[in-house]
Parts: sequence; structure tokens; C-alpha cells
Amino acid sequence: MLASGLPEIIADGEDLARFLPSSSLFNARMAKPAAFLPSVSHRETSVFRHGSEPSDALWAIGVEHVARTRTLHGAAIVKAHDVRAAGLEVIANEPPPRHAAIRGWPWPEDDDELRKAQQKERASLLASKATLLRR
Amino acid sequence: MYRIVPNISRSGLPTLQALAAGSSAISPEARKVHRIAKEVAESVEQSHALFGEKASALSQLAELAAECSEPSWDEESANAIDPAAVLTAQRLVRALPDGISLPEFAPEPDGSISLDWIQSRNHLLSLSIGPTDRLAYAWLDGTDRGHAVVRFDGCNIPPLLLNGIIGIVGLGNAGLRAA
Repeated sequence: MLASGLPEIIADGEDLARFLPSSSLFNARMAKPAAFLPSVSHRETSVFRHGSEPSDALWAIGVEHVARTRTLHGAAIVKAHDVRAAGLEVIANEPPPRHAAIRGWPWPEDDDELRKAQQKERASLLASKATLLRR
Repeated sequence: MYRIVPNISRSGLPTLQALAAGSSAISPEARKVHRIAKEVAESVEQSHALFGEKASALSQLAELAAECSEPSWDEESANAIDPAAVLTAQRLVRALPDGISLPEFAPEPDGSISLDWIQSRNHLLSLSIGPTDRLAYAWLDGTDRGHAVVRFDGCNIPPLLLNGIIGIVGLGNAGLRAA
């Protein structure tokens, strides 16, 4: 059991929240693929193990850990099994509490554009499955 | 192949419209002038309308570049949007044939710009523009999906990419402009 009280293994049915610090990362219908692309330095996508409810708790996490000095515009909620179905893995990564990381992004070292194309395909799959919550 | 639209400034448009609107022409020559003026006026109006859409898209792109001009715009470790990527994105938008839907823009963590054509959740094409002339993209088309890399010369949309965009979002009103 983790410090947050959550189990170490993330169940397939768990919700994962990807916070959206830019209004350009979503449109009226959905989060865009870019919202799920991994950080270049950590090679992972940071998410929190939380669903759309209770929304107050969700936004509190986002404000405290993601949008410290910027406006938090929303969150995209995706199921852990959709992450795994896209050929990626998701693992608990505390602290902070409830934090998790989407890893396993393709990373060919000798071709940046091929890397991006492969990552975009997976990010597009995540975007297509995610539920958009606007703040 | 695309229709050639005469280069007529807005200041010349009222004169053209007046010629086009004239209905008292009697001679064959006058009727011909009236008909040609009407066609040209319609083309010019359409050209201005379409340019307006591109101007709006380019304005959105500039806003995004300004919003993400500093590192860590995502409060994580994102790179600032690369000015070279902005320039290439501008060129690509300008090079899009009239009638093709214009993309939405999004910042990417490595400083690239995403150009997205989103028809629906399962029908989309997402293009990444970075500092080089090689463009990465991926698409979802129902149960079909894939990715590719193409080279952009700054003037002509690579046919493979253009066909991909049309396959996702259709031709829109491109038929109005095609010869």
C-alpha cells in the first residue's frame, strides 16, 4: 500500500487524470493528442489516480501539483486499461500522493520525427478514449 | 489544378461589383463585360473570404506561440515553442489548398507545434511540426490507424499528407475552388 492509501498496482478500471494547463490542449469535444505526449526529459506522461468525481478534490490536486502559477483549464480522464491497450504502461509514482506515470513510449534514438510519429499514434489513441472535463 | 484568382485589391472591388451589377447592357460586348465582371467579382469575394479564414488561423498560431514562448509553459519541463516550428507551421497553413479545413493548434512538450484535423474522436489526423523540414503525423480513421513522416519543402503540401487530411476531414468546399 502506498502513502496515499492506494494499492501499488494500478487496476485496469482505475481512472487517470491528465491535467490541462493550456486551453490549446483541448477543443469543445475532446482533449487533443498533444495533451498526452510525454515529457522529453522524463520520457513519461504525468497523471493522477483520480476520476471526475469528486470534482473539488480533482481540481485541488491539479492546482496544488500541476498549475501552480498558471490557470488550470481542465483535465482529461482516461482508464488505465485504455493506456495499456495503446501499448503503454502506467505505474504508481508517488510522491506526490496519487501520482502515476505513463511510460513505455517509443523512443528511437536516431530519428526524432519517427519517434514523434510513433508517440503521436499512441497519444491519439489516448485522446480518443479520454473524457474531457472543463474547469 | 486550381482556378487562378485575379489579384484585385479591395479598393477595386466596388468598381468591379458595380460593373457586375449593371443589367442594362445591350450590345454583345457590354453583356460580355458584365458577365466577366460578375465572374471575377465572385472569385475575388471568395478569395477574400478564404484568406480571412487563414488569417484567423495564423493569428491563433501566433497567440499559441506567445503563450508558450517560455520553457515550462506546462508547469513541468516543456520546451518553449521553437520559432522555426512556428515559421514552418505558418508556411504549411498558407500552402494548404483552399477548401481544405484548417487545423487546430496545440503546443507539444518538446517545443513542436501540433496541427490537428479532428473530425471526431476516432477520425483525426495529428501533425507535428518541429525545427526540421520533416513532419511527423499520426491518424485514427475508425479502426484503422497509423503514422508517417514526410518532408515539407515550405511551399507544397506533401501529397501523402494532403491525401491523409482529405481522407479524414473530406474536401469541405474545395470543389468550389477546383477547376
